[in-house]
Amino acid sequence: MQIQLKLYGSSKMLSDKEILNIELPNNSNIEKLRGVLNKIISEKYLQNNLKNLPKTAAFFSETDEVINDNYKLKNKELISIFPPIGGG
Amino acid sequence: MTFHAAIVKAENDKISLEKAKEFIISEENGAESIFIGRVRNENSGKKVTAVTYDVHDQVVIKSFQSICNDAKNKFDKSSSIFLEHAKGYVPVGEISILIAVSSGHRDEAFKICRYILEEIKHKSPIWKKEHYIDGKEEWLPGHSLRPKEEIK
Repeated sequence: MQIQLKLYGSSKMLSDKEILNIELPNNSNIEKLRGVLNKIISEKYLQNNLKNLPKTAAFFSETDEVINDNYKLKNKELISIFPPIGGG
Repeated sequence: MTFHAAIVKAENDKISLEKAKEFIISEENGAESIFIGRVRNENSGKKVTAVTYDVHDQVVIKSFQSICNDAKNKFDKSSSIFLEHAKGYVPVGEISILIAVSSGHRDEAFKICRYILEEIKHKSPIWKKEHYIDGKEEWLPGHSLRPKEEIK
């Protein structure tokens, strides 16, 4: 299955596009997604200080609700990744 | 409605102090407190030229509304609040956030202003990328929205 990850903040270093398509095994949840992101970052983006992103990020559904690690992802689902925030 | 909360796209518009003052003025509120945050030219020894603010519009507006309502309920239900935050590329010296509050008394006006600013830093999905004089840029660290007990 594939999900679409809308990028915000430092996660934008993962792609030049706003949305990153990620391949996942069927029936994956957010915890699995964290693991896959960890692998992608450790292979390609370690120099960009993204090492902690998979464990510190929060994820939001298309309806703008926070989703936890047990949330089952659907094929083609669009979710957002929120790295640690710092406005004001 | 006695509060106004908005995101201002820096490429189209600027945050206006005059608009804020006009919004909060009220005969029943004798105290006004205004906080203005501007992009400064230095951070951690690096010369900053601008900051890009990335924002999740819908969640930020929802959080602003919730924070303003909480502030009113906590400190002064009769207060008026004006809150705007910039989105996009903001050069040094420009306003990034403006919080204006009118309240019955000075203590509540100061407290509401401070409360809103601190809550935004911990609850509103806004991210900062600093641009430096040498052409480099960097996303700044911040507060995780993931519950602490889940971060191993």
